[in-house]
Amino acid sequence: MRALCWNGVNDLRVETVPDPEIVSPHDAILRVTMSTTCGSDLHFIDGYLPTMKAGDIIGHEFMGEVVEVGRDVRKVKKGDRVVVPSFIVCGNCWYCDHQLWSLCDNTNPKPEYQQVAFGYPSAGIYGYTHAFGGYAGAHAQFVRVPHADNDCFLVPGGLRDEQVLFLSDAAPTGYMGADFCDIQPGATIAVWGAGGVGLMAMRSAYLLGAERVIAVDRFPERLAMAERFTGAEALDYSQVESVVDVLREMTGGRGPDACIDAVGMEAHGTGPGYAYDRAKQALHLHSDRGQALREAILACRKGGTLSVLGVYGLMDKFPLGAIMNKGLTLRTAQQHGQKYMHRLLEHVVKGELDPSFLATHRFSLEDAPRGYELFKKKEDGCVRAVFTS
Amino acid sequence: MPSSRTTALREAPSQAAASQEDLLTKRWGPAASTVVAATLMSLGLRRRSLGGTVVALASGALLYRGLHSRRRSLSTERRASTGEEARRVQFTQVEHTLTVGRPADVLYRLWSEPSTLSLLMAHFAEVTPTAGNGRHWRIHGPFGREVSWDSRLVEDRPPELHRWESTEDSPMKTRGWVRFKPAPSDWGTEVTLHLEFAPPGGAVAEALAKRMRGIPSMQVMKALRRFKSLAETGEIPTLDHNPSARVSAD
Repeated sequence: MRALCWNGVNDLRVETVPDPEIVSPHDAILRVTMSTTCGSDLHFIDGYLPTMKAGDIIGHEFMGEVVEVGRDVRKVKKGDRVVVPSFIVCGNCWYCDHQLWSLCDNTNPKPEYQQVAFGYPSAGIYGYTHAFGGYAGAHAQFVRVPHADNDCFLVPGGLRDEQVLFLSDAAPTGYMGADFCDIQPGATIAVWGAGGVGLMAMRSAYLLGAERVIAVDRFPERLAMAERFTGAEALDYSQVESVVDVLREMTGGRGPDACIDAVGMEAHGTGPGYAYDRAKQALHLHSDRGQALREAILACRKGGTLSVLGVYGLMDKFPLGAIMNKGLTLRTAQQHGQKYMHRLLEHVVKGELDPSFLATHRFSLEDAPRGYELFKKKEDGCVRAVFTS
Repeated sequence: MPSSRTTALREAPSQAAASQEDLLTKRWGPAASTVVAATLMSLGLRRRSLGGTVVALASGALLYRGLHSRRRSLSTERRASTGEEARRVQFTQVEHTLTVGRPADVLYRLWSEPSTLSLLMAHFAEVTPTAGNGRHWRIHGPFGREVSWDSRLVEDRPPELHRWESTEDSPMKTRGWVRFKPAPSDWGTEVTLHLEFAPPGGAVAEALAKRMRGIPSMQVMKALRRFKSLAETGEIPTLDHNPSARVSAD
């Protein structure tokens, strides 16, 4: 089959690779109908997230049609049109039982990496470093889905691929981020980053009862999208002296009740803090630039909630004093997609959520490297490039 | 990922060679010691995997034995030192605990099944059942060579404990036990796996094993994780036939 492979830093190529096979009794093989870029891919494309190997097939946000199932698959059937959360879960361990799906104990074949880096390993992901299992990714014609009965979700009829695709990752990540905020009536939520995840977090915050949502970004087209498709108010951080001061003024001097970081380890910013991060990252003294997260911590009202969705490595210079002294609640996780999938599908069917606006650019799988280039440089207003094979 | 271990491993060959200098220079000369260090480094250490470790240890042992037996045919002096070495065998010990979401008796039975150990160790050893609850272990080394030994069950306390030891005539001296202890609340059972081994390479392999303590430890952790997945899901997460643009799937 054809697949998009990572061959080194900033070196993506579509190559011919072997087809996946059923290897375990709970596996299914999908013909991928649509997949999409994710901002978190840029971290290893740029070389900041280690444990990639040359030749790895990338891509973790996808949907497709079931073409084959293993002997112990009960619910999923050949011909089913399904969407698949990016984290692979077993459905049997303590973490799955407690709805902490991305922490599943039984789907990472290479636990040694995270055991060393984080103390304990998380679940595996498709096409997203060997620390997250080393599974082949989904920017390919076919993909193997382990534990298919827990990981494949049937798509209701009448929905287009673009409406469903982002329920694989961007939508549940954003929804979870808003859910973490424990939104009360009258709440104001500020969201850093108006990319796929951030935009979904903004829409979700309204769905979960927020009164106001403020989008913090610097790209006019993304801010316009936030206003138009999610109803958020736009704040262009490159046009103001201090985001923290502006947010304080916008919220009657209180600060947002909750702040969502949908940016992560390659944040852009202004001022000396950003220059410091940038220099350290360039020298490989640390893996993360944490400007967005620092702002979110400072901007959040006392006793508020900080919801971290951005992907981080091993960041230092973290203003824990502000979190502690202001009594902030820190909530964070990789997405527990299996927890939210049914709810999200319901929102889409009812027309309350339509993530298809994220798909600003469409490419064939063969042109995927061009799609990533456009996506990475945010050219031509690209929010997400989607690939069809 | 942290680079400290990589650094330590890079230093290993020279340090290993240095600390064993008296032994090596007397017996094989510096050339042989370099060969041993280089072989171990290239075959096992650089891979930093459990399989790699065992391959490194096993290949070190094989190399040692190969050289040793050649020397022995030339000199009877060697026998004395072999005896000395046998008396001062030191075991490298590794122990890990993992909580598995199943009752102790279920896990005890699963562990006892003839095929289980082979599945848990599939990444580095073939383990086949032998008479009387014994096991035959086989590890493939480089150049088509292999190390094999037998173990027998020496203590069996259902549903709490299995303890085993390598048989008297085994070239690999190993012993180990697995213990099943109920965990609090709805967590299931705390499973502890304890392994000790003294590879046949004598002092050289022993020094090496000490330097690589972290690696066998990781292997025991992985074997336990494989056991947990097998018990909780009926399968072990795998990258077999995992497509990529590489020759090897992992």
